[in-house]
Amino acid sequence: MSFNLLHGESNLIQMMSLKLPGVLAAWGLPHSDAVTSPDVQFLWDFILGVAVFFTVLIVVLMVYFSIRYHAKTKNQVGDHGHTHNTPLELTWSIIPLILLMIMFVLGFKYYLNIDTVPSGAYKIDVQAKQWSWTFVYPNGGISDKLYLPAGRPVRLDMTSSDVLHGFWIPRLSIQKDVVPGRVMSVWIEAKKPARMWLQCAEYCGSGHSEMRAPVIVEPYAQFRKSVHAIADIWKQNGKPLSLVEVGRKLHVTLGCIACHNMTGAPGGVGPSWKNLAGSQVHDINGRIVVADYAYLKNAIIHPGHLKVKGYPRGIMPNTFAAQLKKISPNGRALDALIAYINSKSKYANQQSQPPELRKSATPVQPPVKLKSPPAKVSGLPTAALPLVAKGKLLVQTFGCTGCHSPAGAPGVGPTWKDLAGSPVTLTSGKVVTADYSYLREMILHSGKLLVKGATPGVMPGTYGAMLSGPKHPDEKKLKAIIWYLNSLSDHANKASWPPGGGGN
Amino acid sequence: MTTTTAEIGGHAWEHAPIGGNYLNEGKGIKSWLFTLDHKRIGLMYLISGLTMFFIGGMLAMVIRTQLLVPNGLIFHGSYEAYKHYNQVFTLHGIIMVFMVLVPIPPGALGNFVLPLMIGAKDVAFPRLNLLSYYLYVTGAIMAVVSTLLGAVDTGWTFYTPFSIQTETYVVWMVLGIFLLGFSSILTGLNFIVTIHKLRAPGMKWFRMPVFVWASYATSIIQVAATPVLGVTLLLLVAERVMGVGIFNSALGGDPVLFQDFFWFYSHPAVYIMILPAMGIVGEIITVFSRKPIFGYKFIVMSSLAIALIGFVVWGHHLFVNGQSAEWDAIFSFMTFFVAVPSAVKVFNWLATMYKGAISLTTPMLYALSFIVLFTIGGFTGVILGALATNVVLHDTYFVVAHFHYVMMGGTIIAFIGGLHYWWPKMFGRMYNETLGRITCVMLFIGINLTFFPQFIVGAEGMPRRYATYLPQYQPYMIASTVGAYIQLAAFVLMAGYLIHSLVRGKKAAANPWGASTLDWSMASPPTTGNFQHMPVITQGPYHYEDMEYDGRLGGFVHVEPVPALAGVGSEH
Repeated sequence: MSFNLLHGESNLIQMMSLKLPGVLAAWGLPHSDAVTSPDVQFLWDFILGVAVFFTVLIVVLMVYFSIRYHAKTKNQVGDHGHTHNTPLELTWSIIPLILLMIMFVLGFKYYLNIDTVPSGAYKIDVQAKQWSWTFVYPNGGISDKLYLPAGRPVRLDMTSSDVLHGFWIPRLSIQKDVVPGRVMSVWIEAKKPARMWLQCAEYCGSGHSEMRAPVIVEPYAQFRKSVHAIADIWKQNGKPLSLVEVGRKLHVTLGCIACHNMTGAPGGVGPSWKNLAGSQVHDINGRIVVADYAYLKNAIIHPGHLKVKGYPRGIMPNTFAAQLKKISPNGRALDALIAYINSKSKYANQQSQPPELRKSATPVQPPVKLKSPPAKVSGLPTAALPLVAKGKLLVQTFGCTGCHSPAGAPGVGPTWKDLAGSPVTLTSGKVVTADYSYLREMILHSGKLLVKGATPGVMPGTYGAMLSGPKHPDEKKLKAIIWYLNSLSDHANKASWPPGGGGN
Repeated sequence: MTTTTAEIGGHAWEHAPIGGNYLNEGKGIKSWLFTLDHKRIGLMYLISGLTMFFIGGMLAMVIRTQLLVPNGLIFHGSYEAYKHYNQVFTLHGIIMVFMVLVPIPPGALGNFVLPLMIGAKDVAFPRLNLLSYYLYVTGAIMAVVSTLLGAVDTGWTFYTPFSIQTETYVVWMVLGIFLLGFSSILTGLNFIVTIHKLRAPGMKWFRMPVFVWASYATSIIQVAATPVLGVTLLLLVAERVMGVGIFNSALGGDPVLFQDFFWFYSHPAVYIMILPAMGIVGEIITVFSRKPIFGYKFIVMSSLAIALIGFVVWGHHLFVNGQSAEWDAIFSFMTFFVAVPSAVKVFNWLATMYKGAISLTTPMLYALSFIVLFTIGGFTGVILGALATNVVLHDTYFVVAHFHYVMMGGTIIAFIGGLHYWWPKMFGRMYNETLGRITCVMLFIGINLTFFPQFIVGAEGMPRRYATYLPQYQPYMIASTVGAYIQLAAFVLMAGYLIHSLVRGKKAAANPWGASTLDWSMASPPTTGNFQHMPVITQGPYHYEDMEYDGRLGGFVHVEPVPALAGVGSEH
């Protein structure tokens, strides 16, 4: 059954149908803007017509009987011979049944059109959360407005990151719940340009009634321009943005934010960008350099050349140069990113700003000497100290700190601060001590001993093969990591140390 | 509250016939709290239920007042304020569904009338009956406690995962409803056994009044569906307290599973609410048309059909949440199918009026209001049952209007009609007929003004459970609120003349309406044991030719030896 065939049939039925009185059309559904709307409207009119007919019939009969057969005296009785009439009763059972079955068949038929996503539809991702809608277009553009091309089918793949939401555009005759843990798909084809609201239809908590988004249906050419403009980092709503604003967009779309935070919190995969520009940085060889414009530029486009101490080579992808060049061949995108990094630093100065912004002279502040926090190593056997350093390097190589903060900050996974040797509550409710065997199991088989509140399957199961098994019979790296964990904990003790006291 | 009634029972009926009645036989608070008499338990249900209806109704007034302006008149400006609004509509829904609509028609009217109608001295298990009542009270108290601790803001449906994440006291509330469910199961069980085992001699199945049949169908649903609600609610508690991960997608569970479980009970529960109402309307229409009910067997069978088909339509609540198109089709089909017996009932009631001798008393006006409101509620249900129209009206005010037409315009209107119909039997007093009719008309206007605009505003695109709304919906919302205040005025008037009736009302005859069912064969109010002699039944329930109005008594008396009510003069 192809979509078009079904659609053609339904038109035929509509043509053959009775034209309903204008008074009913006056109270039609205001859902006239989608290709599926005429079907829905027809079904609505049909049921409403039947309903009004029977309701009027019932009320008229009721009023008529009440007057015609009004009791004149208290002792008057009704016609006791008139107690049942099987053919009559079968008639008023079967006629409603037939009408109802027609309604059912039409409802299902039209619903198949509404429910079946046509192939080749333009695809937009919809992300629902308490209490906002976000739309991601195929070119990577992100917007809080839903742009739709008139006359083209669009497929929406919807996900929720918290509770149930309801995707509902009344004027486009479509509603679908967004169920967390599933990808819910609907399709829409708006007939003509219009502006309307998308509203959340499924109750989702306090902000439910204000969880709406503008829907803008445009001619296809205009739609393409709009979507292009969303992905256009230089402008917002048609107005040019400042270099810093562009940089702010870029650090999200390029994904910089995943490894470089803006808060200065330790434990990121890469150095925080807070107060970075213009400050002193230890490079990979321990030399002190100033993070000026040239340094920042180099660090972004040649990540292998200049590295910050403690952040090993090879983690940061070397693809940014090409991506930035694609966005702007003249290097302005790169400058925007650096301008944004500067906007986050109190040490930003003429030397750290991109040339375009240097005219607005900011007072030059002397570079401040970095204070690196001393590693907590007290109490550990001296023989283990080199292993602690090795472990620290390893966790950065593996990217563990992306999820586990060494400093006690909340993250995707539990913090490592004060973890070793402390009690841990598992999902089963059982409380265990984070001793060596627990830490080892946890790293090698993350799903097995899940901490309460954590989500299974988030921590990759790949570490087992990288740290243990036939290729790593002595588990040296694993032990180094666990020594590092011990160095971060005030509760570290012999039970949480790897066996051998660091001597092996 | 029970104290008040006890006092009424103690002082009001000095002239009650043959030495007393159930209200004054046994005095003091204990005689009420530990009573095993189905009529006293019914009365306690009535008072508790009306109290809950008052609270739920006041919450409804808060909702309607809030929605007078688009930004909210009472709760506005912050998510915290909206949360309070959400708590209000959640409590309104929970109270009205679980503490009024489901338990009260069977608990109050069913308890009082059902044994009288089948010629029984009481229900089969009087102690179980009292336990049902106390479970009901305990559940209601737990709901109040949870409201004081931190009112639930999940909506009455408790949809996961929101109900797992919210910080309000969901567990207390859910356990309270669990107890209410137990109460409902025990009442249903009691009625089923009562109807099977305690019918008077000669009361064959097809000689039972239609209200008894409706109660029987209701009881089947209560016993068969409510356990699923209980299990679902316990799983929700386990999910919240232990994080078992059945309904929580973050732990690999499925939120839609909860919806399936929940509606497996809650859709049949709609028929728990409407079937007794249909039974009441059937009784009223035959009595005030003074004509046997038309197509008795069709009406009886349609009650059973609704009860049974009602079990397989729950999926129509899940048309927009990813259920496969095949299941959608099956549930839509069954939904249309269940509409047929409802239509049959309406036509049969109309045919009962045809060639009747109709008097438009207060109960009759309520029954006629029911037919109109239920028809509108039913047809809009058909619009929602059709798949293509459902997906544009799902979770809108159209749905809100639809179920309020069925629940308020159907169940509540029929319940109030039944209350006016059996009031003389319950309390031995008549109420002011004129005020009764005026109130009924006010309620009819109020309900239509409240809920009809909601159909339009829903079709225009206003979702339900909104604390604030787009300005273009405001005219409809204002009309709706005005309607709600008219309803409030009607209820205040009703409370006034009913209380007046208790204190000063004219003494009621044994059979003021001229009904032919057994519940009107004893004095008003009945004695504790109901029947002086075991009645023996020789014909169907409805026959009006053998009675005559006696103006001195203010009621009807039999004019010839009546085979139906000839006593055998011995205890059973």
